[in-house]
Amino acid sequence: MASIFRVQVYLTDKASRRLPLLLCFLAAMVMLMPCSSRAETSYRSVAGPCHLEFPRDHGPHPGYATEWWYYTGNVKSGSGSPFGFQLTFFRHQFVPPGDETGWPKLPSAWRTPQIYIAHLALSDIMEGTYRHVEQMARGAVGLADATSDLEKTSVFVKDWSLEIRHEDSIHHLTAVAEDFGMNLILSQEKPPVLHGQNGYSLKGKAADSASCYYSLTRMSVHGDLVVRGQSIPVQGSAWMDHEFSTAPLESDLLGWDWFSLQFSDRTELMIYLLRQKDGGMSPASSGTFVDASGTTTALVFQDIAVEALDHWQSPHSGGSYPVRWAIKIIPLKMELTIAAQLKDQEMNTPGTTRITYWEGSVSVKGNGKDGKPVTGEGYVELTGYDKPLNLP
Amino acid sequence: MKKAVFLVRLWIWFSLRQLRSQYWRTLTVLLGIALGAAVFTSVRLAVNASVDSFANSMDTLAGKADWTVVTPGARVPEGLVAALQKHPAVETASPLLSTYVRPAGNGGEPFLLIGLDPISDRDMRQWSSTGTSERGSSWLTLMRTPYTLLPGEKLSERWHKAPGDSITLEHAHRTVDFQVTDILEPEGLALAEGGGIALTDIATFQEFTGLHGWVDRIDLRLKASAQNDAARSIAAMLPEGTVLEKPSEARESGKLMVRSYRLNLSVLSFVSLFVGMFLIFSLVSLHVTSRRHEMAVLRSLGASSRLLFFLFLLEGAFFGVVGWVAAIPLSSFLVRRLVEQVSATVSHLFVRVQVDQLPLDPLEAASSFALTLFVSLLAAIQPAIEARKVHPREVFLRHASRENGSPAPYCLALLGALLILTVWPLVRLPAIHGVPLSGYLATFLLFCGFSLLSPWCLHLLGSHLPPLLQHVGGQPAYLGGRYIRDSGARMALSVGALITAVGLFVALVIMIHSFRGTVELWVEQSISGDLFLRPKMSEINRYRDPLPPQTVQLLQDLQESVEIVPYRRIFLTYEKVPYQFEALDLSRLRHHASLLFLQGHPENIFRELEARDGILISEVFANQTGLGVGDHFTAQIEGTKLDLPVLAIFRDYRTQGGTVHYPLERFTKKSGDTSWSGARLFLKHPGEDLEAAALALKNEILTRSGDQAQALEVTTGRDLRRIILRIFDETFSITSVLLLIALLAATLGITTTLATFILERSRQLHTLLAVGASRTQVRTMIIWEAVLMVITGEGIGLCCGFFLSYLLIFVINRQSFGWTFIYSVDWTALWISLPLILGTALFAALPASQLVFQRPASQVLRE
Repeated sequence: MASIFRVQVYLTDKASRRLPLLLCFLAAMVMLMPCSSRAETSYRSVAGPCHLEFPRDHGPHPGYATEWWYYTGNVKSGSGSPFGFQLTFFRHQFVPPGDETGWPKLPSAWRTPQIYIAHLALSDIMEGTYRHVEQMARGAVGLADATSDLEKTSVFVKDWSLEIRHEDSIHHLTAVAEDFGMNLILSQEKPPVLHGQNGYSLKGKAADSASCYYSLTRMSVHGDLVVRGQSIPVQGSAWMDHEFSTAPLESDLLGWDWFSLQFSDRTELMIYLLRQKDGGMSPASSGTFVDASGTTTALVFQDIAVEALDHWQSPHSGGSYPVRWAIKIIPLKMELTIAAQLKDQEMNTPGTTRITYWEGSVSVKGNGKDGKPVTGEGYVELTGYDKPLNLP
Repeated sequence: MKKAVFLVRLWIWFSLRQLRSQYWRTLTVLLGIALGAAVFTSVRLAVNASVDSFANSMDTLAGKADWTVVTPGARVPEGLVAALQKHPAVETASPLLSTYVRPAGNGGEPFLLIGLDPISDRDMRQWSSTGTSERGSSWLTLMRTPYTLLPGEKLSERWHKAPGDSITLEHAHRTVDFQVTDILEPEGLALAEGGGIALTDIATFQEFTGLHGWVDRIDLRLKASAQNDAARSIAAMLPEGTVLEKPSEARESGKLMVRSYRLNLSVLSFVSLFVGMFLIFSLVSLHVTSRRHEMAVLRSLGASSRLLFFLFLLEGAFFGVVGWVAAIPLSSFLVRRLVEQVSATVSHLFVRVQVDQLPLDPLEAASSFALTLFVSLLAAIQPAIEARKVHPREVFLRHASRENGSPAPYCLALLGALLILTVWPLVRLPAIHGVPLSGYLATFLLFCGFSLLSPWCLHLLGSHLPPLLQHVGGQPAYLGGRYIRDSGARMALSVGALITAVGLFVALVIMIHSFRGTVELWVEQSISGDLFLRPKMSEINRYRDPLPPQTVQLLQDLQESVEIVPYRRIFLTYEKVPYQFEALDLSRLRHHASLLFLQGHPENIFRELEARDGILISEVFANQTGLGVGDHFTAQIEGTKLDLPVLAIFRDYRTQGGTVHYPLERFTKKSGDTSWSGARLFLKHPGEDLEAAALALKNEILTRSGDQAQALEVTTGRDLRRIILRIFDETFSITSVLLLIALLAATLGITTTLATFILERSRQLHTLLAVGASRTQVRTMIIWEAVLMVITGEGIGLCCGFFLSYLLIFVINRQSFGWTFIYSVDWTALWISLPLILGTALFAALPASQLVFQRPASQVLRE
């Protein structure tokens, strides 16, 4: 779910390009998909069981309009300095399957139906700084691609890459930007968690308002972060989401709050809350609890109670974001307080993208399952706080 | 400050009133200086607009690139884009392709089609669309839908196409229907080529042009943290033959080609201003001469000699400032007419420009003002110094004649001869950074030198000719001759205007005639061929698209009846000097044509070329690079390294840099490039009517080419030669206009000069009337003076013109453009035009001759 409704990316702002690229469902449908009904129907849709199998489904799923591989984590250096990181690879198919038949007989190598985008962010908790950058490339001539075979799954955008070794479920993330970067090895510690009904994650009233969605909720991390040219060895824990879909988001939504939390008792919690324009929460909001053994408990809207305790107003966008929450998972007797490790973790890219969202490292304390005291860390994503998302 | 205010107030009382009272004369001088300033300003603005248009286009196309990856003479493999993008120092690697295409059908004007990857390009170049596309994101439509494009506003208006409309475009190889996705906002990249561009996705571009796998260049933007050696590290990963260049190099290379044209036109336009300077000199001199008594009164009242100096200097400044202001509307009128012609010439000869606006450059306006003012002050300095010499005691000598402190005529002649002699060593100096400064200085010295010869010439004429004149024209002619003898040094500068104008006229007539004669010979000998065949728009696309293989095959099938001379033409730079490398079948060409070699017999040179590996270079290339016969030429062309001796130098008048000829067979063998940029065809059996046979062959080729015919440009040899000469003539039409304006200013100068002389000696003339001379006799005498003056001016101007023509052909042209011509004098034009100039000048003298009768003789004599 991590970014399913999240990113509305534009190539540049109006002054320079005004080229919108919506990565959320609806935007993908409205802005990127061709208008013809034939084209709309030619994308594959998620309307039932996803039949996810691994390692096969770590790989790309062409034919669906949108897909992403999403990594967040909290790590510490040898000296104990905490960092949060995010690296996400998006695939967007802007030409529906079958439209290739209209291409010239001898197509250029640049002709492709796929665009890839990647977001990289690093929160230096001790220093109090948040760095972020993004890349975009067409899935052609070696600029970006996603492939999978028996041995591995590879996704790359320019020189940023993700490689999943199937044999031992090792994920290798490499991304270096101007003044920061990462080279991390992630080891899967729990089996994939299939959200919703075996990965079929319903996001609305219609059966095809859904995505195929699974997470690797606990992965150990080691490797290096690069900050201002200095390599810093780190260790910690990460979370991975992989999701693909074609369906649009419901039109009455204002934005969403998404939480991925890892607790000291080796349990995890994912919840997403779809905020409606009328101030309420969408009944499609839901979540998943994962116990230490990897067994999951699906949570529905009524199971979750969230209260924002503190807010922070962004000096960049003017948006007012919650930065401390009280969360109750009623059937599991969980009562948690979640706080942003840094207030300013707003990804604001007016020069290249028009979306502004908050995506940041958080700390957790409170009572875990059955009221046992826990601490923990995680990541929270908040959208639609600076202005409503540009969704019709 | 008070002193300055006082000076201005005094000037208004003393000088401005005088100028107002003689408003016709004042207006004439103002018109002269305004014409000069207007011509200078408008020519500069017009040329600048063209150059700026080109530079802006290049800058806009280069975008924010720090470096550009190119393969000289070829294209860059597209696979390099990803490799470069992954280099740690590279922020963005954006591929770019561009070509001129045009809407199908007759009369479709070519425009620049740019193919890019909208995603990679987002950080490189600024462009946006108006957003009227139904699909919202036009960039994505470009990527999604083959054969879609985003035209600039100007193009869409020219085509009358809105988003959603179709337009058929033809390229050298194909004709395809495109759909207009949206319209580009008039900003950034959309302003390149004066707005005459359209964008398309790189995939569409390659599919349209058949350039699969290739890009023209890859623009690189480096990370801010990139190390100093990043460029070296990037260059190291490039394949052989592919290089890293600064994006400004293409712009500078283009500007280099235009620079000489710009400079020469500026110098030529300055001549009008230079001629205007003589007008100011004449009038201020007249005032100094005619108002000595008033100046003496001022001096006796306490005015310092310095004050008088500044008073007349201010008069010069007045002409400069008011003349410049009057030039504004004139410039505005002229520049609109000039800009079209200048940009057409620049496009024809050097680089394609599309001038869409005429920005008023404040710096250009300020420099034009400063120059006009400077020239005006310079013209007023000598009379102002003369005014300074007025002594207060002259107030009592009402009719005291002016002290003649001028040097003797022979002294001036010696000085003039010295200046003319100085020209000799000057012309041997090399150009400085491609600018023939010594040539221009030599030109100036020639004008000054010949002007200084005029008093001595006049003295000679006036001494020896009057007895003869008396026989021809009676006493008036005799007296006119004598006055010319005694006119002194001041006339040197007055006649100087005429000498300058006539000298320039004669020099340009000779130069243009020589140029045209040589070009005609070159066209006949070197541009020979019955039929010329090349891909469409080859010229503006710099021959980057070779002939389609089917066409090459078709030509080879015709070999029984036609001799084919194929060539491969590649545009390159040699140490930043642009040139054309042309590999051609010289062994076949020599059977039908020849090259105009500077030295050596063509047969011997071709024989040597067959015997040893080497190149032939054009005179332009030799002069621009310093290479000579025996030197080694090295170049990397299409990945092939050439290191060849120069075997001979030939004349060539292509304007886009020099030319290097190399046998096609050897080039093909070394590079593996078997493509042809074009071919010349010679009919083996032309029959009696060569033109009809050539046309028949043309039709046959077009018919047999089928669909390919629309991609071919087939021209008969006669038509091609006619086109070349037409462009030549059009190029020099602007020169002729500037020349006429200079002559007009000179004619105004004659009127003023004569008026000066008449007013200066009005007592003398009226004394003649008083002692019995008739008005007709006085008028005839003045006309004789004018005749002698104009003949002297023309005669000296003619001599000056011959010297100058040599200077233009063998120094300034060689240093500016690299070429020289076979010297040839257009006697017919000179025989016709010189009497015409004489007639016009005498006609201009008539109003001056009337001046003497404006006031009664008794009044003048009483004073």
